[in-house]
Amino acid sequence: MVEGEVEKAKMRARPIVKLGIFLISHSSFVSVICLIAAIVALLLLPVLAKNTYISENALMPGSANSMLSTQDVSEANKLVKDLAHLYLRSPIESQQIIGQYMSGLDAEVTYQKFYPQLNRFHPLHFFTNSDLGISSSNMNCSSLGINTVGIIRAPRGDGKEAIVLVTPYNPEKNGVGEALSLGIAYSVFSLLSRVTWLAKDIVWLVADSRYGEHSAVDAWLREYHDPVFHRNDLTDSETCNESNTTTELEQKLYVDKKFYSGFRRAGTMAAALVIKVAEDSNHFEDSLNIYAEASNGQMPNLDLINIVNYLAVHKEGLRIQVKKIWSLLGFRWLNTLGVVFESVGQIARSLNPQWKFGIPASEYVEGTATLASSLYCQAFGVPTGPHGAFRDYQIDAITLEISPKVSLSKMTMRNDFILRGGRLLEGVVRSINNLLEKFHQSFFLYLLTSPSKFVSVGVYMIPFVLLITPLPLVAASLHIDASKSTTPQTTEVDVSRKSWKWLNSARKVFVIHLWGVVVALFPYFLCRMPNSTPTTNFTLWGLLSAFSLIILYLILGSPVFEASSSQPEKREWASIKSVTTTAAFIGLSLMSVINFATAEIGALFIIPICLMVRPLKLDAQARSLRTLLRATLNLVLGFIAFPPVAYVLLKVVFDDVDGFSVGEYWNWVESLWAWNSATYLYVGIVHLPCWALCIHILFHPC
Amino acid sequence: MKKVQWFWISVLGSVILRFILFYSSKNLNLSSRPEIATPLTSLRRLAEGYWLKQSSMSPYSGSMYHGSPLLLTLLGPLTVTRIEGQPDHLLCGFVFVIADVICAMLIRATGETLQAAYSSRLKLLGLHHLSQNSGEVLPSGDLAALVYLWNPFTIVACIGLSTSAIENLMVVLSLYGACKRLAPLAAFGWVMATHLSLYPAILLIPVILLFGYGLDAPPRKLFLQRKKFEVDNSSSSDNNRLEEGVRNQLSMLNVFSWKSVSHFLFWTLLWSSYVLVLCSIYLRQHGGLQELFKRTYGFILTIPDLSPNIGVFWYFFAEVFDFFRNFFLIVFHGNILLMMVPLALRLNHRPCFLAFVYIVISSMLKSYPSVGDSALYLGLLGLFAYELRDMQFSFFLISGYVGASLLSPVMHNLWIWRGTGNANFYFGTAITYACFQIILVVESVSAMLNHDRMLKKLSTAKLVKT
Repeated sequence: MVEGEVEKAKMRARPIVKLGIFLISHSSFVSVICLIAAIVALLLLPVLAKNTYISENALMPGSANSMLSTQDVSEANKLVKDLAHLYLRSPIESQQIIGQYMSGLDAEVTYQKFYPQLNRFHPLHFFTNSDLGISSSNMNCSSLGINTVGIIRAPRGDGKEAIVLVTPYNPEKNGVGEALSLGIAYSVFSLLSRVTWLAKDIVWLVADSRYGEHSAVDAWLREYHDPVFHRNDLTDSETCNESNTTTELEQKLYVDKKFYSGFRRAGTMAAALVIKVAEDSNHFEDSLNIYAEASNGQMPNLDLINIVNYLAVHKEGLRIQVKKIWSLLGFRWLNTLGVVFESVGQIARSLNPQWKFGIPASEYVEGTATLASSLYCQAFGVPTGPHGAFRDYQIDAITLEISPKVSLSKMTMRNDFILRGGRLLEGVVRSINNLLEKFHQSFFLYLLTSPSKFVSVGVYMIPFVLLITPLPLVAASLHIDASKSTTPQTTEVDVSRKSWKWLNSARKVFVIHLWGVVVALFPYFLCRMPNSTPTTNFTLWGLLSAFSLIILYLILGSPVFEASSSQPEKREWASIKSVTTTAAFIGLSLMSVINFATAEIGALFIIPICLMVRPLKLDAQARSLRTLLRATLNLVLGFIAFPPVAYVLLKVVFDDVDGFSVGEYWNWVESLWAWNSATYLYVGIVHLPCWALCIHILFHPC
Repeated sequence: MKKVQWFWISVLGSVILRFILFYSSKNLNLSSRPEIATPLTSLRRLAEGYWLKQSSMSPYSGSMYHGSPLLLTLLGPLTVTRIEGQPDHLLCGFVFVIADVICAMLIRATGETLQAAYSSRLKLLGLHHLSQNSGEVLPSGDLAALVYLWNPFTIVACIGLSTSAIENLMVVLSLYGACKRLAPLAAFGWVMATHLSLYPAILLIPVILLFGYGLDAPPRKLFLQRKKFEVDNSSSSDNNRLEEGVRNQLSMLNVFSWKSVSHFLFWTLLWSSYVLVLCSIYLRQHGGLQELFKRTYGFILTIPDLSPNIGVFWYFFAEVFDFFRNFFLIVFHGNILLMMVPLALRLNHRPCFLAFVYIVISSMLKSYPSVGDSALYLGLLGLFAYELRDMQFSFFLISGYVGASLLSPVMHNLWIWRGTGNANFYFGTAITYACFQIILVVESVSAMLNHDRMLKKLSTAKLVKT
């Protein structure tokens, strides 16, 4: 009965099976077509980008008139001036002044003491998502930071939701830009303390950025979400002198009865805005930079960027930009490509006016530069600002960096600047205030090609899918070949387990991947060495990796493991290649879910070599032009796919740096695991082993 | 000799690996992962149930614990004892490691019995050369035991402190007892397995077949042919005593021995009443047996807990309208029962393989599946390595298993922690996983049938030749 069902199933599936067999038998042809299509689709992405639109109706940005008055601004300016006067005094005092200003607005003020977190090695953080207690062993009194937090309770709210404004502030440096960002936040804060329409509490966090902006925000968020009850470091801090100063600092506020020594909270956060003011002013007009990439290529909801973009452009007349890779703008071929796409678009439009395809060449080049930067920032998996800390708690956050047109020393210009920035911020807060649920309407997975254009997940997946489609096809065709060619057909019932032949090469591939894990773990031990330069660390790392690889080779070559394959197989490399391609396929597909940009860039490096690789010996024996060409191409591709080389290439193309030291790669690796980037895992567990296996096949003695 | 040594070294290695992981997997939080700990198998729920019982409440109050009261008495005291400086639940983990090792040993013994019986049957058919030459590779029993012990699913289920290790042990115990024709042991295993997780109840059919017809053998028709041939031959020529013996053996094979089956059923009755009495004593003040059935079997059958797992039910029953719920409950559970009879008819000469197929189907279609269930059937698959060596798509299947099991935690993370995905993402991997399980069943059954066809061809060819 079952047999009958199976037969029937086979009958039904026949066209699909036929198609599959056709694709597998023409795998090399199909893979060439797929790769070309993938590259074309990737280059077409800026053309296919759609205009952004505000998807959540409740937001209604810009529907109300701005209420921020010049009085608020002059108050804010006073704060800026006060901070500037404090320049030479102790850092505590400036925080005190901020606290006083906050409590002057009837806000609840608290100070949060924290220790900046040291770099920790948590490559599995991505899967576990459980914050362990902070190890307090490495903390000392000198690195104590103090966040100042002011909270306005919403008159119409139930205290269950909040909007967060963050201004990083370094009291030791006390730059004019940071003071101005405080001024902008203060002007809005003072307005919001009076308005009646507020439905969400407003939290203003002045993050102590002495030890980095991100770590201060992260410390506050951690305390906010996962309070630690039995902490040892608090008792430690009592012994420090700093704690005396904080109590001293708090004393003044006790008089107003608005100070509460515990940690204050205000509902779940709907969104967070980080405000910064850039100090360099060599632009033609006031402009606004948006940074959105959080850890592991996560992005905030597109609606948040949309509101800011809408308000900045239509209300405040700011020039808005997202990060771009400037070096790409000068590429001649990109421009030519843009012209080609433009003319194709014109032809398409002349055929049917409704086909809206094609954008101007200059726009195309700009879009490509922005897209490349978007990919590049997401691929490293390192947040581009303090907003990254919020995304770990599923809060949408962006950094707004406002750069003024002229120098900020002039008084009148300053007032005008604060007014503009404050109005933008007010509009955004008012719009988020209208939100009924958390952001969910718009996209989370997108790439920006300009502040008002995006490529959604459905579109940007196409090039990637085209890129990885050849992998299973090639694996299948090689697998079929390998299992066919190795059946000796001695008797009618040959005892050779032909369908399990591949297990042998699977074991090898598995061992190499295990080696990848070991290599990924080495830096954990290396970074504990005292007084070591990045260069020595890198060389040590390389040596250790090579050494462990040799040991693994020896173990693999030992007779115990070779027992099952007594006769050396002729096409062993084919079977290894088939398993390698499968492993690369699984690894890349997994990575595309975790961090798409890493997978895309990694795929561009590893897939050509995975598909092309063939033992050099075979190619050399054939001695035709084609095989020699293939051999050299394989060597070049193999060289390029080596992770440090790939890194250097990426840097040269995207960051436009010339000089290179070996230590730089180490620094990069260190930053990756300090930020718990999944890219680190990808490089260690997927990319490096696949590359090693490709090289193994390349030099296979067949 | 060397092979045997290697076997024990790898068993020891797997145990050591488990202990290393016990000490280092604290931040992996395996025991709260939906793939490993289901509402039925989670040790945390068991600890909660034990705590409730200790404070003289019903262990089932509050819909936390849904397992057997016997497990509470066995594992409950271990959940509260902590050793200073050691990870929590180390003692429970120790129990699970022991359960895994015993299970592997039983699988090995079963494999040896199966292999010996199978080669003697083949000898009867005159197909000596087909039986495994043990010199070349590992015997299938050893292979199956190692597959079971080193399977990442087993290891993860053990580290994740899921009670499925004990359920698996009971299932294997009943199969082992049936293979060795130990009626009390087989009955105990079956009763306990059914008591713990209900679904092994369907193993009654293969166990009865094992007692009735004996171990896995080539199709019975071949023996009838052979016997007819022998009888024809003997009528013409003189019959010596050796041929008489063979003939007797051949005729014995086709007799269903009611005696041992009834023996088994008697023991089943005895054990089940014993278990029920124990449970009712334990739950005397908390609603008795009725409460037990409602909270365990009722919980399994009506699927009130719709928290995500690697099965396919939670998603469907979260979506379905309430007034269709009962109908679909019947349909979904009927699915397993529907496949039982045809499979039993087709594979009745291979009861152990039938048991394997039943286990795969039930672990695919059960209401709260976990990777522990997959661990069991993947281990048992090793028992039939010889018959299934020509299985198709083995590479595809294993890549699929690897891919699906890696994708599942990633999708879960995307949905629950990052908030950028949704339930469909996670359910997608559950569907993929179910598809691969279906392919495994279909391919293994068809490979087994092909093997039978090949045996038939060879045996008839042999008869024609002589």
